[in-house]
Amino acid sequence: MKKVIGILAVVILSVTVSCKDNKQEDQKEEMHNEMSEHETVYACPMHPEITGKEGDKCSKCGMDLEAVEAHDHSEMNHEDGHDHGNSESTEREITQNNTKNNATSAMLDAYFEIKNGLVADSKEKAENGATSLLAAISKFDMSKLSGETHKEYMEIAESAKEHAEHIIKSPIDHQREHFEALSTDITDLVALLGTDKVVYQDFCPMANNNKGANWLSEVKEIKNPYFGSKMLKCGSVKKQIN
Amino acid sequence: MKISKIILLILLIVFVGIQFVPTKRNQSESVPNTDFMIVNNVPNNIKATLQTSCYDCHSNYTSYPWYNTVQPVAWILENHIEEGKAELNFSKWDNYSKRRKKSKLKSIISQIEDDKMPLSSYTLIHKDAILSNEQKKDIIDWINKIETNK
Repeated sequence: MKKVIGILAVVILSVTVSCKDNKQEDQKEEMHNEMSEHETVYACPMHPEITGKEGDKCSKCGMDLEAVEAHDHSEMNHEDGHDHGNSESTEREITQNNTKNNATSAMLDAYFEIKNGLVADSKEKAENGATSLLAAISKFDMSKLSGETHKEYMEIAESAKEHAEHIIKSPIDHQREHFEALSTDITDLVALLGTDKVVYQDFCPMANNNKGANWLSEVKEIKNPYFGSKMLKCGSVKKQIN
Repeated sequence: MKISKIILLILLIVFVGIQFVPTKRNQSESVPNTDFMIVNNVPNNIKATLQTSCYDCHSNYTSYPWYNTVQPVAWILENHIEEGKAELNFSKWDNYSKRRKKSKLKSIISQIEDDKMPLSSYTLIHKDAILSNEQKKDIIDWINKIETNK
């Protein structure tokens, strides 16, 4: 019996070694593929992590992949990194003369559902809100958007989706962190597309490690989602829309 | 006695059998221009820390431990890396929109501050990946610096 086990051990070892060799070859091949397609990369405008060849479709949303500009090596060492001029989209200002647009209502309602969940210190309610938000994003009709607005909307939606997914699977303190970033996205969404709802932009100076953070609310009374019952009244209304 | 020998033999055969199942290796050898290090001109000390503590699961290049070649460990690692890269892939940093870069940087800070990353299951084996308080401070200060410069 000992002999049998000995032989088996040798077999196992040799198998592992040969497997390793195979894999390394595969890997070289993969590497090669990756390098040759490196010149023009096609990526989904909504899911930049999905890349492929010209004419491919995104495996997540089915959109046509678009060419991504390949970066020239000569600009690799710039001190300040790259400037993607057209994506200067974060933290827009909401203006009073907003477009009255009801297309964003479903997303706003879902956002308020998350907010009210956090106000009530309820992880589950925030989770439900995030699920509604995902549904609202996927139902949103993008066909009326064009050019820059379309691109910016997609960046916002992609980011909001990611935060919603995290809110679904995280404990409440982490939910609040993502809610803060989500608030920026939803604020930008309202600034970009407008709303016909009455929305208040509130500010809590203590959120985000005392750096302060905004949130949107459908009611004038301050109910703080960042601290819930601990500091329900902390914050002030900065702006009223509609 | 005979039954136990048969069971042992079957287990061995299964063990040998699963070694033939191929796994995807996460080792692209070219560093793409979209890599975090290239885009952000990362100082050397932080570069080294990120490479040791983060890049195994959050980039397209993993330096595998020897036992990775043995199944079923390889599967577990593969899933782990898959998940890590879905969350944050430093190799494809420049493909993220400005908005997402900003929120990723914020998440990096909060994960490090809360000691959620690197995962304890990872640092159990990779002792060198454990971040010292000094390393944490260096990373966080640096991220805050590039954030305010933007």
